[in-house]
Amino acid sequence: MIRILVIFLLMVTNAKPPKATEKVIARQGKVSFFSYTSVEDIKAENNQVLSVIDIDKKEIAVRMLMNAFIFEKALMREHFNESYLESDIYPKAIFEGEIVDFDPTIDGEQTRIVKGVFTMHGKSKALEIKTKIVKQDNNYMVSGVFETFVKDYDINIPPLLAGNIAKSISVEFRFEYQPYED
Amino acid sequence: MKIRIAFTTAMVLLTVSRSFSQDLLEILESETSKATQFIPATFKMTRITIGHSTEVRSKGILEVFVANRFWNLPVERSQSFIADRMSSRIALEYGISDNLTFGGGATTFDGLFDAHLKYRIPTKNAGVLPFRVTLFQNFSYDSSPIANQAIADDFSDRLAFTSQVLLSKKVTKDFSFQLAPTYVHKSLGTQPNDPTNFFALGVGARYKLGSHLSLVSEYYHTVNPIESFETHDPFAIGVNWELGDVLLQFMLTNAVNMVEDTFITQTRNNFNFRNPNLNFGFNATYVIHFKNKLKK
Repeated sequence: MIRILVIFLLMVTNAKPPKATEKVIARQGKVSFFSYTSVEDIKAENNQVLSVIDIDKKEIAVRMLMNAFIFEKALMREHFNESYLESDIYPKAIFEGEIVDFDPTIDGEQTRIVKGVFTMHGKSKALEIKTKIVKQDNNYMVSGVFETFVKDYDINIPPLLAGNIAKSISVEFRFEYQPYED
Repeated sequence: MKIRIAFTTAMVLLTVSRSFSQDLLEILESETSKATQFIPATFKMTRITIGHSTEVRSKGILEVFVANRFWNLPVERSQSFIADRMSSRIALEYGISDNLTFGGGATTFDGLFDAHLKYRIPTKNAGVLPFRVTLFQNFSYDSSPIANQAIADDFSDRLAFTSQVLLSKKVTKDFSFQLAPTYVHKSLGTQPNDPTNFFALGVGARYKLGSHLSLVSEYYHTVNPIESFETHDPFAIGVNWELGDVLLQFMLTNAVNMVEDTFITQTRNNFNFRNPNLNFGFNATYVIHFKNKLKK
């Protein structure tokens, strides 16, 4: 009896939905961040960010490589990877979330809240991001801006440089999605 | 029976814990991301302590480099402020391309003018080569006055050349080491039976103590040293401290001179804590970016 139950449970939990869910992918998403202080402005850009949206489940996932961020100053990129983000231990940052009240049937623009967890430098942080979603044919464009705090990600800033790096970092993103085929 | 229930629970938990967006993450993982051109720093600074490291600066970066050595004379009492003697080398180094640097400098104490070219062999994919390889060529001119008439001091005698193949490896995130096979041609100040072509091997290492601080050490062994006077192998131990655009190096060394050909072949004192053998070294580098990558 239990054996049958086990098999049944496994079948239920592993069962794939009958219809393949519709997914869209962005392979060259842009994420940039800015830190403005009176001492120094820091700006970096990553044009190789990956993102997938499951249209039916209203889920979104983003993955970026930390060492793909390009800085205005070349030496900053070395400091960023070696001394701050430790990208040899934590090579990537990941966001998993859900687009609240996302309506894929709306053509054109809609503004929605994306709720999810952002993991960077081994630390996870729940974020709610106001996002603009534009649908055109079967392509989607998702963009937005949000603020996040350096201290949430356990990034060590030496006291002498505390004035050079803003406490709150402004992050801007823009992803253009195309239908995804397995 | 109990095992079977445990197994069932485990399986159910396993399948349930495949969180809702797991398959999205799987898709992201399966996408091959373009290999980036970024190579993580093995030493961060262009010098480990006294000698060059495999690091070069990117295109459009100017480094203002000031190196100082302080030491005391072997006298009982001294009224000098801070130290009896000091030497400074002031240099400018500019990144011609992402892999090629040209630099030139002058030293106050020994009157050496020097210029160097440093070329890092580009690695398309970091990790293909077991070592990071940088070629280093230095030229120096000794401008110091020489009273002894017996010493040949024509222009060509005063020139010296150093060629190095710098091989470095980042073993772990914290530990990097470097091997530096070196060839030096220097004839000034040597006797006829002394060699003028020297072969040396340098060993250097860095251990990161924190995210901005590292312990560094370097040693050069000359295979065929000068015979007419006593020379010793230069050794240095110190800390490197990174402060954004300012890179600071503090060290203890027995090498008074700061140009490769001289400190490798003609360091006259061995490393110990007595005067004048012990030199306190302080290098400061200020990095100026002339070309900002994001600004078009």
